[in-house]
This record gives sequence, structure tokens and C-alpha cells, in this order.
Amino acid sequence: MNRLLLIPIIWSVRLLVLLLKVTGRGAGTSLPGLLVGRYFPFAFAALVAQIPYIIVVTGTNGKTTSQTMLSAILEQVDDIRVLRNRAGANLSQGILSQLLRQASPWGTLDATHGIFEVEEATLPRIAQMLRPNLIAVTNLYRDQLDAYGEVDMTEKLIRDGIAQCPQASVVVNGDDPRTARLTHQLPNPTYFTSLPAEYAQEVPYEGQLHHLDPNFQSFLRATKIQINDDLTSDVEVNGRVGDVVVKELRITITSPGFFHVYNALTAITLAKLLQVSDAAIVQGFRQFQPAFGRGEVLEKVKGDKRVYYQILLVKNPASFSLNLDLLRSRPSLKILFAINDNTADSKDVSWLWDSQLERLNDAAIQWLMCTGIRAKDMKVRLKYALTGDRAPTLLQSTQVWESIREAIEQSFELAEDGDRIYVLPTYTAMLEFRKAMGKVLD
Amino acid sequence: MSYSLTLTHLYPDRLNLYGDGGNLIALKRRCEWHGIEFHLTELNWGDRALPSQTDLYFMGGGQDADQLAVVDDFHTLKRDAVQTDTHAGIVFLGVCGGYQLMGNTFLMGNGDQTRGLGILNAETKAPSTQVKERCIGNLIAELLPPLSDELSTIYDPSRPVPKTLVGFENHSGQTYLGEGVTPLARTLSGFGNNAEAVYEGARFKNVFGSYMHGSLLPKNPHFADYLIWLALVQKYNDPGIRLKALPDQEEWEAHEYFVQRYVS
Repeated sequence: MNRLLLIPIIWSVRLLVLLLKVTGRGAGTSLPGLLVGRYFPFAFAALVAQIPYIIVVTGTNGKTTSQTMLSAILEQVDDIRVLRNRAGANLSQGILSQLLRQASPWGTLDATHGIFEVEEATLPRIAQMLRPNLIAVTNLYRDQLDAYGEVDMTEKLIRDGIAQCPQASVVVNGDDPRTARLTHQLPNPTYFTSLPAEYAQEVPYEGQLHHLDPNFQSFLRATKIQINDDLTSDVEVNGRVGDVVVKELRITITSPGFFHVYNALTAITLAKLLQVSDAAIVQGFRQFQPAFGRGEVLEKVKGDKRVYYQILLVKNPASFSLNLDLLRSRPSLKILFAINDNTADSKDVSWLWDSQLERLNDAAIQWLMCTGIRAKDMKVRLKYALTGDRAPTLLQSTQVWESIREAIEQSFELAEDGDRIYVLPTYTAMLEFRKAMGKVLD
Repeated sequence: MSYSLTLTHLYPDRLNLYGDGGNLIALKRRCEWHGIEFHLTELNWGDRALPSQTDLYFMGGGQDADQLAVVDDFHTLKRDAVQTDTHAGIVFLGVCGGYQLMGNTFLMGNGDQTRGLGILNAETKAPSTQVKERCIGNLIAELLPPLSDELSTIYDPSRPVPKTLVGFENHSGQTYLGEGVTPLARTLSGFGNNAEAVYEGARFKNVFGSYMHGSLLPKNPHFADYLIWLALVQKYNDPGIRLKALPDQEEWEAHEYFVQRYVS
């Protein structure tokens, strides 16, 4: 019955998406879901009910990366057909929009597995509609402070969401004290991910590192981590997921930085809960491509000079501090900070002061440059962070260009042929940077 | 003569939201640049405070549960010492949640009014119907006399200093100052203490409160220097102390850019 009612809705949505595209008003990643969700709320459940396995990924950082990794793994398995929402379209209208776009004209969905990244505060609102089989929580950091001042509140919302799904298995970051305790009072079977202490302690978790008990808890741990020159990492994974033992599983992760190893462990745990073989997992990581702005390398060529720009998105104190940590072992470091204060970046730049720029003090810095709307604030942050004999000259030579386009030109001038410049942009600065380099979103 | 200052950070374990660590970084680095020996100590939940142990107190804001948790602790273990110090003229700075906490009563996120620390004669109430949402956004204010005039005299040689304060506010509580407490600045853009009047921040003796994040002190180096100067004058009992002017080019460029953007 409901499915028949879906047919006119699907057709209307197709028309709407076409109109949006023709008139250049967007790609229809949000509006169709918003309208249908409001006027035909039954559509969400009617579509979701057709997908046998629903997997939800939430948490502060790493939602998109974990989702993309799992998707790449499941695509290696015959008979699995994955449906996923687009990166960042993680509110209920974004998820519904994707379901509507993927539905056939007859209101049917062909997918066997739905993998949805869900914004943290949205989880309790759509948990019952999604009825996930698996829920993964990557981590819980302080995020953009003008959006969510309260990590306590976010933790509560996620716990409320999980509590609505007593049938779901839960995968959490076992080192993060906030995620490790999420299911303490809940019946959900829980699986943990973990990194060796020397890595875990570099992560600015809220509270003391959580310690797992191998006798009682089921977890996967990255036992060996080798960070390569191009910032990819080779990892060996050991542990168990319930009754399934994982032994010396070796993968290469193309996302830059050890903190993405957590996302890989989340994806592997979810894959193991879905009975995927080691071989498919390894192959999945070979096929995996990081989302744009997460380690992506763009090139600028003029004459016979070629310069590489590797983009490492920074969106909150945790990702900023961790990316600096990753870079400080690089030789002759050249960094372009691109800081905007648009709504998607956080209008309040206080978070720059919570980010540990001091981690740069033992790095081999060749030069630094600041760009974006708040380039000048970034330079002030550097002034207070840098210490030692070289600090005054380094600061003196740090150029400030409000225009990102100009900063690209100036950094290209500073660089030599073959140089790699690390670009640390906020979200909208990243979009601007990519656009200036000739990359547009599809 | 060589100077030294001790800064006590109140409840860093509980009250550490909103980049307020930037204020500590600014005080530390500026003391270094002024040639003042700098010591940082912490008073956490459960620690007992003793009077005359510090030259400056700093307190930031925290999450609701943490702000509530420190109230009882403060009244049992810290109030007497801190009040003795602040009445004697020791410098105290509270920012946002910390500012609200300093008053007689403050507002919780759920709208409940709670007993405050009682360091400042002020009340923070629930917003009236006038304020539909949080006071959130960039905040620019002009320091009021006599403080605004005093700022240029703390340096040797004295020099002109901007009178503006810049930052970012994010609060729903509306703060009203009681008798004996004066506002710090007049709001030029944004709300400040409350949506009814055009004032930001508070001062009683050398106790200061402000709604400005951003962080406050690195964005406003003149105010940071003023607090350092006050603490030195108090500690060494010498109003003749003067600071050397630091080359604050980067700070003022960021500050000016911000003022230009919002006040024209």
C-alpha cells in the first residue's frame, strides 16, 4: 500500500531535482527530503524498510571517512549492493533525499546494505525510522563551539539514539572515554576499536584514556602502524569481533594520519560483523579513495615548475592538533593555513586557541603562510605558539594574504619545483581553495 | 628590578570551554616578552585555596554540569581565600560562563537560576521575551573611562592605545550589574551583558568579567597588559611601575581588521 503511494512522490521528486538542476539552484541533496519529510512522513519508513541491512555511522570526526571505507569494502563482495548518503548530507532530509533519488520509478530500492553517516544530534530523531542493525560511533570531541557548546549533551543524544535500537550491535572507539561508556547501561552488544597507547595519547580526548579489558571486551587493535612519506599508513590489525578472530590483517590506508586508523578499524569491525572476508577487506582498502579535502593532492604547474598542494581539512581543535602532529615529522615543512569564519567553519575563531599550534615547535619548518578571512587571527595564534630562537624570523617571514587565490600564487612563487605544500583549511576555505585550483564539486 | 607574577587558573579540569586557554597563553607569553617571570598554578575541584598565594586569578566557562559542580566546591574550599584576595585588590578575570558564575546567581542551560560564587555583585537571569535566541556573534565594545584613559599611561613612554575590545559572544543568560560594579565597555556591535543596555563586562576593584571569547586577551593586547600592570602594582605596591611597549603589530592588525569589518 505504502509503496504504491510512493510512486507519485518519486515522480514529483524527479521533476523537482530536474528543475533544481536546470535552474542552477542546487543538486537536490536536501530540498526533496525536506519537503517529502514534512508532507509525506511515511515515505522515509517505507523506503528504509526495503533495505535489509542498515548501518549508521556517527561521531564528531571521521563519519564520512569510515562510511566511505566500509562502502569500498562491501563493494568487493558479490551480491552486496550499497546505498549511502552523500558526504555531509547527514541530517534526516539529506538521508531521505538520497533514498528518494535512488528509488526506482515504482518506489523500489535495490540496495542490500544502507550505510548512512548521521549527524550526532540527529541520531535520536531518526533512529526509530532507520532501525539500524549496526551503529558505529567514531569519537566525541568538542566541535564548532557556536554549534554545540556541550559535548555532554551530544553524548546524551547519541546514547538516547542507541537506546531506541536495542537490537543493534554497536561499534565504538574504545580509547575515547566518552564513546567507550556509551552502552554501559544498555543491552546492545558492543565492539571496540583501539590504537597503541603512544598514538592514542596524542588524541585530545575529553578525559582520561579508556582502558579495555581483553578478558571481557571484544576489540580490534592496530598493533603496528607505519606512517609513510606520503602520509598514508601501513597497518597490522589484530583482535576479535565477537567469535571472529582477526589475526595479522595488513592493510594500507590512503587517508593521511594515524587518526584515520581508527576509522579503518571501525570499518573493519563493521565488515566483520557483516561476515566479510579478510581478502575483501584488503581489496576494499586498495579501492578506497579519501573524500575530497582529506589528504587530496592537487598540482599547480607553470612552465617547467610543478608544485604539489596536499589538503588536510581542519574543522575543530582535535583535527587541527592531530594534523599538526602528523606534519611535525616531515622535513622542510611548508604550511598554508586557510582560515575562514563562515557558518560552516564556526564564526567564532576561539577554537584556534584550543588547537595545539605549539606542536609545531619541534618541526622543521621552512615557511608558513596564512590566508582566508581570518588570516590575521591565524598569524596572531602562530605568534603566541612559536617559541625558540627561530620564532621571530619565522614569524616575520610568515606572509598573510586574505585572498586564497592570491595565497596560491604567492606560495607557488615561494616553492621550488617538486615541493609539497601542506594546506590546512577550514571547510569553506577548502572549497574555495579547490575551486581556485580548478576543482569543482560534482 | 626583576618582577615575577603567579597566575592561578581556577578549575581547569571543569571549566575549559571556548578557547579560554588562549587567555592563559597570552598572559604567559606577554609576561615573558615584558621580562616578567611567570608562574602558572591550578586550583581544581577538591583543592583548598589559601589567601595571598597568587597575583592573578583566571576562570573560564564550562558545560552546565561542570559549572554546577564547582559552586559547592567553591563555597566550601575556596571562597574565603579568594574573597580575601579580591577585596585586597588581587586581579581576577572571568570569561563568559566564568563571568556568569562570579555573580550572586547565574543561569543554567535549562533555565534554572542557581547560586553563584558571589565574587561580583551581579545577577544573570533568563532572557526576557525581548531576546528570542542566544546572544551569539561578534562583539565589539569601547572601553569606558577612567580605564580607557589609564591604558595609555601604563607604558613608559606613554603611548596612544586603541579603546576598543573585540571578541565573540555566545550566551543566553542576561547579566545585570549591582551596586558598586561598573561596566567595562560600551557595546558598539553585538549585545554584551544583556540585550536591554549597551554595556559589556564588569569591574569591581580589580575583579573583571567579560563575555568575550576569541580569545579575549590575545585579541586585546592592551587589556592583557593592563591586567599584568595591575597585578604588578598590587604585588609590589608601586603605582609608578610602567611596562615597556611591545611590538604588537600582528595583534593590532587583526584587531583593526575586525573593527573595520563590523563598525563603520
